[in-house]
Amino acid sequence: MIATMAAAARPEHVLRGLAVRQVRRGALVVTAVCAGMSALVVAGYHSEALDPAALAALASNPAIRTLFGEPVALDHAGGFTVWRTGTVLAVLLGVWAMLAASRTTRGEEDAGRWGLLLSGRITLAEAVRQHLGVLAVVPVLVGAATAAAMIAAGVDATGSLLHGTGLAAVGLFFVAVGGVTAQLFVSRSAANGAAAAVLVVGLLTRMVGDGAPALAWLRWLSPFGLLALTRPFDSNRGLPVSLLAVAAVLLLALAGRLAARRDVGAAILATPGSRPARTALLGSVPAFAVRRTVRPLVAWSAGIGAYFLLLGLIARSMTEFLTGNPEFAAMAAQAGFPALGTVEGYAATLYALLAVPAGVFVAVRLAAVAADENARRLTLLLAAPVTRLRLLAAEAAVAGCAALFLITVAGIAMWAGTATVHAGLSAGDALAGAWNVVPVMLLCLGAAALALGWTPRAVAAIGALPAAGGFMWQVTADSIGAPSWIRALSPFAHLAAVPATAPAGVAASVMAGIAAAGVVAGTVGYRRRDLSA
Amino acid sequence: MGISALRTEHLSKRYGRLLALNDLTLDVPAGEVFGFLGPNGAGKSTTIRLLLGLARPTSGRAWVFDTDAADVAAAHRRLAYVPADVALWPRMTGAEVLDLLARIGPGTDTAYRDELVQRFALDVSKAAGTYSTGNRQKVALIAAFATRAPLLVLDEPTSGLDPLMELQFRQAVGVARDNGQTVFLSSHQLAEVEAVCDRVGILRAGELVEVASVAQLRRLHHTEVAATFTGTPPDLTGVHGVHGLHADGAATVRFTLNGSPAAALRALADADVATIIVREQSLEEIFLAYYGQNAR
Ligand SMILES: Nc1ncnc2c1ncn2[C@@H]1O[C@H](COP(=O)(O)OP(=O)(O)O)[C@@H](O)[C@H]1O
Ligand SMILES: [Mg+2]
Repeated sequence: MIATMAAAARPEHVLRGLAVRQVRRGALVVTAVCAGMSALVVAGYHSEALDPAALAALASNPAIRTLFGEPVALDHAGGFTVWRTGTVLAVLLGVWAMLAASRTTRGEEDAGRWGLLLSGRITLAEAVRQHLGVLAVVPVLVGAATAAAMIAAGVDATGSLLHGTGLAAVGLFFVAVGGVTAQLFVSRSAANGAAAAVLVVGLLTRMVGDGAPALAWLRWLSPFGLLALTRPFDSNRGLPVSLLAVAAVLLLALAGRLAARRDVGAAILATPGSRPARTALLGSVPAFAVRRTVRPLVAWSAGIGAYFLLLGLIARSMTEFLTGNPEFAAMAAQAGFPALGTVEGYAATLYALLAVPAGVFVAVRLAAVAADENARRLTLLLAAPVTRLRLLAAEAAVAGCAALFLITVAGIAMWAGTATVHAGLSAGDALAGAWNVVPVMLLCLGAAALALGWTPRAVAAIGALPAAGGFMWQVTADSIGAPSWIRALSPFAHLAAVPATAPAGVAASVMAGIAAAGVVAGTVGYRRRDLSA
Repeated sequence: MGISALRTEHLSKRYGRLLALNDLTLDVPAGEVFGFLGPNGAGKSTTIRLLLGLARPTSGRAWVFDTDAADVAAAHRRLAYVPADVALWPRMTGAEVLDLLARIGPGTDTAYRDELVQRFALDVSKAAGTYSTGNRQKVALIAAFATRAPLLVLDEPTSGLDPLMELQFRQAVGVARDNGQTVFLSSHQLAEVEAVCDRVGILRAGELVEVASVAQLRRLHHTEVAATFTGTPPDLTGVHGVHGLHADGAATVRFTLNGSPAAALRALADADVATIIVREQSLEEIFLAYYGQNAR
């Protein structure tokens, strides 16, 4: 009797345990980063006397609003922190949440590890619900930890709690988005692509809504817009964040419903029954790598291209505003955006941001190789006369070239934007500025290859570290006025402000050298180890 | 002595504390259909992964036609492989997967491949994401049989196939044999092994416990005899080769026979035998005898 009851109570426990084990490490890192960075920026804030007229001008400048969001309560440590870190942390948490949602559900199912689990009394819907349920706790923890850290660092409880709640709601929203797309699409990569599209569109919608007063209502349609509309440390509005939370809960429920309506291994959006074979790019290992990269590259190019086009379109308004209001140039410099007063300085500053998506892109591409290995899809390739060296070389080369393409697209997109508003950025300067981030992208490639060779489960995280981690490191170091050796740990500290200044050749070579060492060490590991599964 | 298609020397693989494969020394001559038998977890897939260079041996070496198995670029030009559970890119159709494998593989006879697609009744215009386990296995089987590579390494290739397809599989192995291809077939299905293999190796808990032809394997083991007599049964105690003698009622004796039956037949001939049933043990019984208690 007791045994039956124990057995009956079991499946949920097993599922939850499984889910917890898969997300706990990432959850800890994200929580630590969000709470730590918020507290550091609060503690490092030193107020400058800002005159009200200038503040009003700042708050109404469309370019400032597009780029940084609506500046509110900047004369307050809490408000400044939200303005400085809010979007970055929301994006970090959102990306992690949606990737974790699809990894723990669709990814596990893809790799065949749910077969055994679901042959018992557990239904697919139950498994999906339990996994998403565990994951949904993480954003709440992140929000709570962030609020607690900010309060501890000495700002108001109300604003801190509202900001924490906003972050939690964004995280929850993207857990739900990842959960829904994982039900809609048959492959994890397609699910991730769709969820990432939601994120990018959400960001762009927020930017356009903030920048164009006539379209301000757009912000109500974007998770990032709703986050900004809560205005912590200012008017402290609860409605936007409540809406976001309700949307998240509805989407979570939808994910469970959708899971109940499909078979294991299948998806809601049916793959077309039959189609003629498309045999292009199947002739060799490098060609096949290109084939698998084209689709994600197109999607990334569209998102990044749109973002940089928008940045180009606001270039003139921004530079003119900062030339006219020098006190904000100093403030932007404190926020890590020096030299925004000239179009070259503006381009240099914003092109540096490009290193983040470009680095994440190569990390994700090599993580896809690790996922293919883990799902045993590479077995048939490696049973052909194909050495691991050749496979890795092909994948790394294709990922690197695709990232170069992505960087070039961003360069051209921003140039096109500036040309439209006659901001006076030359095409050569634009490309030079974009290509300036190549060494950071290469660092990510090296880190990802190293991880593929030695810890294939962590390729995405380790690969993205130089770019995403380096960027947040720099933001934090700048905000707290950290000593230069601490700043120097971020690769961003070694990027010259191209096209405003000449490229830093030595630093670029050193980064390329470190990247090459990473690739070599990763290759050694990849050739020596057993393939997983 | 002909050439070896596949050879291992003291091959071992350790996973932490588990010795998954212990000191395997094996030689499969070219042209043979070799059955690699063992229950789940015996180490069959581990052996094959070592042979293919997908995992690195803890010690020992392996060769594919005298090429070091670690030299993947050369060794894999002479083999084709069907994994135990086939995973494919979900958005590629069967035809696209076959095309990819043919173009990067060791060379494919496309006419025969198309014939195999017909025989295995595979709809290659569907996306692999819609395939069942058996259909994914068919893709890998068709790709492997169509290569005409001199060595085919098949890891439990029929676990997802229905009986009709199993028959097609056996025919394809027959064609491969007639072409002079070597087949290394890992399996735990004895009927399959019995039907297609020339020789079998039996693996137990990572150790090779027997290598013999199917016929030899039977001969090595007992033949069961049951005889009834019209009169008093003869006393067979101590007759050469007779074991496990027991009377079954007044007129029937049962015993098992090892080695030459001559002495036992002479003893029986002197009595009035009414009926006699001689039964060879099935491979299954032999198999169970090997794995008796501590099967892994
Ligand atoms: N990558 C691995 N890590 C740890 N143990 C493994 C691994 N692969 C196989 N094993 C273990 O090695 C043993 C042999 O497995 P395997 O070769 O797959 O058996 P078979 O194919 O005969 O069923 C099993 O006990 C299995 O659990
Ligand atoms: Mg096996």
